[in-house]
Amino acid sequence: MATRTLGERKLFSFSPALLAWLGLLGLCIVIGLVSAFQVFWNGLYITNMSDSVPWGLWITIDLSSIALGAGAFTLSAVVYLFGLKRFQSIIRLAVFVGFIGYTSALLTLIMDIGRPDRFWHPWVYWNIHSVLWEVTMCITIYLAIMLVEFAPVIAESRFFNRYNWIRTAAKYLHKAAPVLALLGLAISLLHQSSLGATYGIVKSRPIWFKPSMPIMFILSAVAVGPSLTMAIAYVVEWVTGKKSIPNEILRAIARFSGFGIMVYGYIRFWDLAAVTYYGRTPSVSESFNLLNQQTPYNFSFWVFEIILGVVLPAILFLTPRFNRNPGYLVIGTIFAMIGILINRWNVTVGGLFVPLSYSPGTLYQLAPGKYFPGLPEWGVAVGIIGYALTMLTLGVRYLPLFGNEEHS
Amino acid sequence: MSKKKTKIKLELSRRDFLIVGGTAAGSVVAAQLLTTGPLSPFASFKQEQVEGIEEATQHASGHRWGMVINLDKCIGCEYCLRACSATNDVWVDPELKRPEKPWNIVVEDKTSIGTPFFFSRPCLHCGDAPCVEVCPVQATYHREDGLVVMNYGRCIGCRYCEIACPYDARKFNWQARTDINPYIPTWGIAEVDRRPRGVVEKCTFCIHRIDAGLKGGFTPGEDREATPACVNVCPVGARVFGDLNDPDSMVSQAVTTETTIRLREELGTEPSVYYVIPKEGI
Repeated sequence: MATRTLGERKLFSFSPALLAWLGLLGLCIVIGLVSAFQVFWNGLYITNMSDSVPWGLWITIDLSSIALGAGAFTLSAVVYLFGLKRFQSIIRLAVFVGFIGYTSALLTLIMDIGRPDRFWHPWVYWNIHSVLWEVTMCITIYLAIMLVEFAPVIAESRFFNRYNWIRTAAKYLHKAAPVLALLGLAISLLHQSSLGATYGIVKSRPIWFKPSMPIMFILSAVAVGPSLTMAIAYVVEWVTGKKSIPNEILRAIARFSGFGIMVYGYIRFWDLAAVTYYGRTPSVSESFNLLNQQTPYNFSFWVFEIILGVVLPAILFLTPRFNRNPGYLVIGTIFAMIGILINRWNVTVGGLFVPLSYSPGTLYQLAPGKYFPGLPEWGVAVGIIGYALTMLTLGVRYLPLFGNEEHS
Repeated sequence: MSKKKTKIKLELSRRDFLIVGGTAAGSVVAAQLLTTGPLSPFASFKQEQVEGIEEATQHASGHRWGMVINLDKCIGCEYCLRACSATNDVWVDPELKRPEKPWNIVVEDKTSIGTPFFFSRPCLHCGDAPCVEVCPVQATYHREDGLVVMNYGRCIGCRYCEIACPYDARKFNWQARTDINPYIPTWGIAEVDRRPRGVVEKCTFCIHRIDAGLKGGFTPGEDREATPACVNVCPVGARVFGDLNDPDSMVSQAVTTETTIRLREELGTEPSVYYVIPKEGI
């Protein structure tokens, strides 16, 4: 215990590199705050969203950060449900990363809705028929679950030395971890997939309307989420110089992600084959034709979503030649993350680019959507990234994310 | 090879047999009950789907407001657009920063044989409206008379309804309104408040006129006081409004006597707006 306290005290020194890093993060957050203020003051008018493309960059960030936070429930389930106790050492980091992902999503959502002052309405005015209502409820409940799961870790930090009763309470809370993991698993499975269903049920838009939507969303989240936790563990190890999580655990996670990505790729392949080839309908073909003419959809699909997002990570995570080297695993994770991001963008904005056609005649059709994020939107995005990295930095420095001996 | 094969002996005790048999029989009974029996969630679901519209209108106030738009008569003068924009004080973007559309659009269209006609579209007030289904807070809902209306005080501005509407009938208030409406007072005066920033809005079939008119003893569709502005202003009588539940109303008559279509009927949204197609066909 004595050596640990010493070690912790040593962490409080600020090296020039750390100061520069914190300065960068501060700059990001300031940019984010200025942009957020602009948006709150002037309304969403200053963004580039419009009535034909009402969702844009921010929704992409929401979906991506929730998907990337999926490591929390996946790894919790692995440990508490499937009883693979050797993964216990990464649970705290996974839940922390998940927490950052979900709070980032909620922050972006607050920016995105027209009336942030009414953010609490879904909890009071229920519409049980709405997928979005279900998503909102699940995300907020799951955030609460993660907080409870994480409470013991926060209680362990030095700040709570004075308040011993909080620690005792937190320890009792920790006993409920398996139950929480089960509950978290159920709720996460629900909303990770219903985020896809948000698009999949919209029958007015032919390229969204398919039952594979929720499945692809949840598979990609379950596959890539854990690998983000793995990559963060490596990066933290490089930066702090402390080996906290055994390499074979991280490699096992990488292999799991690799298999997950392959399953996702398989479903993706069949979705593509069924929707655009075997079972194509005129409206779907027209939509994809238009997307390919007006936007670099084809390029971004094959290069970013498939090669960068599926093929390369699967190779890097699964072949022994690469997955022995942590560097390749981190690079693979970055590729997979780009794949997720571009996928969510293509789904959201691509789907909205395609105009609705409802006129009885043959001539009238809405113009294809036009959208590229404006400066305030990028600013908020930078701010959100700054927030996520700041949380991570603070957590790594001040929270016992890797020491779990006293609980197991 | 075949001689080497070990024999698999199947030992089935009476107890095992009873368990397996009982489970199988129980499953069959349960499956039967759940699919067709009185316990079935699907049975009532199907029933609702089949009877959905009739049911919704039967136990309601008795009215079901609807409109018939005669594409053969429409001359594309855009009076309906202007009267609507004035009466409901709808924002028209002067700089056209975005493709801002009014509640009620009027556009040129062509039949498959090339005959031009004009097509206009209010909100279709679907009987099974996608926007109502997706709203997370029930800010948009069905009234008893079948109208799809907005509760501006509840809308959180997530814009999911805008995305889900198959007819592009919804608009979002991207900013606080400070503009001068160019259609007032030439085409009418604002009869409703401007909507606040950050909520979604759409055509209401001039709900304020219907409600006040009914109280005053008027009949919507017959008396001008209780009829939507677009119907009143139409110089060629291309729009007819009234109660679809009343077989003697002008809309019901038009629906039964003319060849009508509804937009994107394949989606099952059951719009309350019918279109009389041009004589040459669509």
